[in-house]
Amino acid sequence: MTTTVDTGVKNREALDAANKKYEWGFSTELETEFAPKGLSEATVRFISAKKEEPEWMLEWRLKAYRRWLEMESPDWAKLDIAPIDYQDAFYYAAPKAKPTLASLDELDPEIRRTYEKLGIPIEEQKVLAGVEGAGLPARKIAVDAVFDSVSVATTFRAELERAGVIFRSISEAVREFPDLVRKWLGKVVPAHDNYFAALNAAVFSDGTFVYVPEGVRCPMELSTYFRINAANTGQFERTLIVADKGAYVSYLEGCTAPQRDENQLHAAVVELVALDDAEIKYSTVQNWYPGDEQGLGGIYNFVTKRALCQGARSKVSWTQVETGSAVTWKYPSCVLNGEDSVGEFYSVAVTNNRQQADTGTKMIHNGRGSRSTIVSKGISAGRSDNTYRGLVRVGPNAENVRNFTQCDSLLLGDQCGAHTVPYIEVRNPTATIEHEATTSKISDDQLFYAQQRGLDRESAVALIVNGFAKEVLQQLPMEFAVEAQKLLGISLEGSVG
Amino acid sequence: MSLPLPSPRDEAWRWSDLSGLPALAEARPRGGVIDTSGLWLGCGGPRLLFVDGVLDEALSEPGPLGAGAVEVDSDHPLGRLARGAGWTLDLGKGHSPDATIEIVHVATGGASHVPARITLASEAQASIVETFVGDGWANRLTQVDLGDGARLMHAARLRQASGFTSLRIEGQVGTGASLVSTILAAGGAGTRIDAAVKLAAPGAFAEVGGALLARGGQRHDAAVTLRHEAPEGMSRQTWRAVADDHATASLAARVEVARHAQQTDGEQSLRGLLLRRTATVNLKPELEIFADDVKCAHGATVGELDRNALFYLASRGLPPLEAQALLTRAFVADALGRIGEAAVREAFEADADAWLGANP
Repeated sequence: MTTTVDTGVKNREALDAANKKYEWGFSTELETEFAPKGLSEATVRFISAKKEEPEWMLEWRLKAYRRWLEMESPDWAKLDIAPIDYQDAFYYAAPKAKPTLASLDELDPEIRRTYEKLGIPIEEQKVLAGVEGAGLPARKIAVDAVFDSVSVATTFRAELERAGVIFRSISEAVREFPDLVRKWLGKVVPAHDNYFAALNAAVFSDGTFVYVPEGVRCPMELSTYFRINAANTGQFERTLIVADKGAYVSYLEGCTAPQRDENQLHAAVVELVALDDAEIKYSTVQNWYPGDEQGLGGIYNFVTKRALCQGARSKVSWTQVETGSAVTWKYPSCVLNGEDSVGEFYSVAVTNNRQQADTGTKMIHNGRGSRSTIVSKGISAGRSDNTYRGLVRVGPNAENVRNFTQCDSLLLGDQCGAHTVPYIEVRNPTATIEHEATTSKISDDQLFYAQQRGLDRESAVALIVNGFAKEVLQQLPMEFAVEAQKLLGISLEGSVG
Repeated sequence: MSLPLPSPRDEAWRWSDLSGLPALAEARPRGGVIDTSGLWLGCGGPRLLFVDGVLDEALSEPGPLGAGAVEVDSDHPLGRLARGAGWTLDLGKGHSPDATIEIVHVATGGASHVPARITLASEAQASIVETFVGDGWANRLTQVDLGDGARLMHAARLRQASGFTSLRIEGQVGTGASLVSTILAAGGAGTRIDAAVKLAAPGAFAEVGGALLARGGQRHDAAVTLRHEAPEGMSRQTWRAVADDHATASLAARVEVARHAQQTDGEQSLRGLLLRRTATVNLKPELEIFADDVKCAHGATVGELDRNALFYLASRGLPPLEAQALLTRAFVADALGRIGEAAVREAFEADADAWLGANP
């Protein structure tokens, strides 16, 4: 199987044939507008001006940038990363397309082709392009697509608005709902929270803002597709979701990038706020370009995701399927302040070739009766390293806290590594904390049985791996579960046998 | 002279409190007459008495033990401070002392740094019990090298009334050899226990575990790494942490499995018990695995005493404090049960009981 691919290939079939391993490795030739290369206060001002942001937003960014300059890149993760030259990247890249679309014809045909390749259904593409009256899919999903640095289209806006749900790109939200954004932005992940969060706060270019008002059950799944397209570009999106009292929202996030030899930087921040009785379900299928078999290229994925379960009985559920990126540094967390609040973390992380993933969660229990569940499945193959790193902390006033953690690792081959680093810090005796972990491999018996029933070796491995990850996959909304299952198989191709 | 100590910002020391050490390092020992009655277990074997890090030859019966300058080399931040005079045990092939070796460390304030080296040739066997009493800072570095089929039982009871005890154990275990180390912290001092043991040859066995009992403002902290470097090794880490009042007990136990250490069997059991809502237990059961045919499992729990069990004992007529002590004793017993010799195990259990009995 060949792995070298001309990134300019446009024909999808030819590309698929040439590159089975990373199906999303195409790049799209678009006229793109860049900020000057490098990072300085001028870059921050440029981005802010491009976004027509109010003064307070610029101040917030500049403050974050100045803090970032004083911070050091964290080195505690089990990751081997070459030093990153922050001056050798573009911090803003926008496709030069018309910002608002009146009909399908007006959507840049190249972007449309990209959506086709991303697998966004044609009906949704029409809606993405703003063609009202097009045959809508039976099950509605509102999509916000972020292309390099900016959001290109948000669908179903009118229908969501009838329900009272605000679903906007974050730059639109800053302009249209400044008070709401200002109230919550940086409240969960402060600008100076960590090195990458500070970088994001300084240069974030776009992302998604969702507000679900009191008592509203969001009528459809919300979804964002992130795509890094332009070369040498960092993507820094920021997502803020606020679920007011009694609200419910399910949010899906998908990411891809073209194949390039150099490493590209992705440093996102996701903030979730759940007030009394609110529930947020946040699902991610992360499939950034993982680099080639020699570890050349691939995305550096440094993500800060945190949820504030502020209200009583609020609930946040993180589900993630991590198959991409050369380096993953990501710990979706829940700060459980509300009484009887619930945090959940379901994760499948697959690493192959030279990929490195250091991922896990933090459950900070401050509320009485708060509960959390952590299920982490790590699968390592090739020469990769896969680390679960987690923290369960129980504060002194959090009575009757419960946590259950299960971390299972599956090793395919003897050149990879599986690591488990759980921290447990308990300051209240009424807490019940349980942690279990296992490490195993696919047994020859299992493989033999599956092959003897007529499956080839790779399908057998995919079947067993899917079984291993079942507890997590079943948490995903249906559309994503199917995609995730396929992804697991593709990511592990060639790793056994 | 300023003491180069790690800070809590350092990941491996995040739960430690070494802030009292510079003052202890400056202080002078009080010295005076030492009453050693009740410190010896009466095993009848070789014995050494160190007072403030200096061997008391009159009260020692070295037997096969050597005393004097010890060649050790460690890059551990506390272990490397222990240089110069200490003790050694060097046993030839198949040798074994008749009875358990006892080493008592008495501190009268100030700081003492003592290195030790234990070398057992193939098929040699030894059992060593160390007891720490007094106050001040006792800092020890023990390097262990076990030849093929050698067996070392090591037990340390940390009973210092105040101050700080820091142990650093560095071990290398040969083919089919076995190292078992059990540590009980049941005094009033702060504690840092560090161990790094390599299972360097096929079929090696290593077990490091124990119990940390903390009350008042005490901080006990254990950080143990067992590294499998060869196939078919087996390791066990059984730790129990009990914290009362404002105390903190922390356990960081790590199993590393190198690429070629197939058929490794590693197990960790870390359990914390909180007796009061102001106390803290921290656990970190860590696995780092590079081989695919291994069996590694860890379990970690933190909680309070089982209310049903307390109720049951109350219904059988036990006063609440006694019921609590009984259940806490059972909780701790798991970790101390690994001590092979009955006399030693009983002494450890008595220490734990005394600690529990002193509970108001």
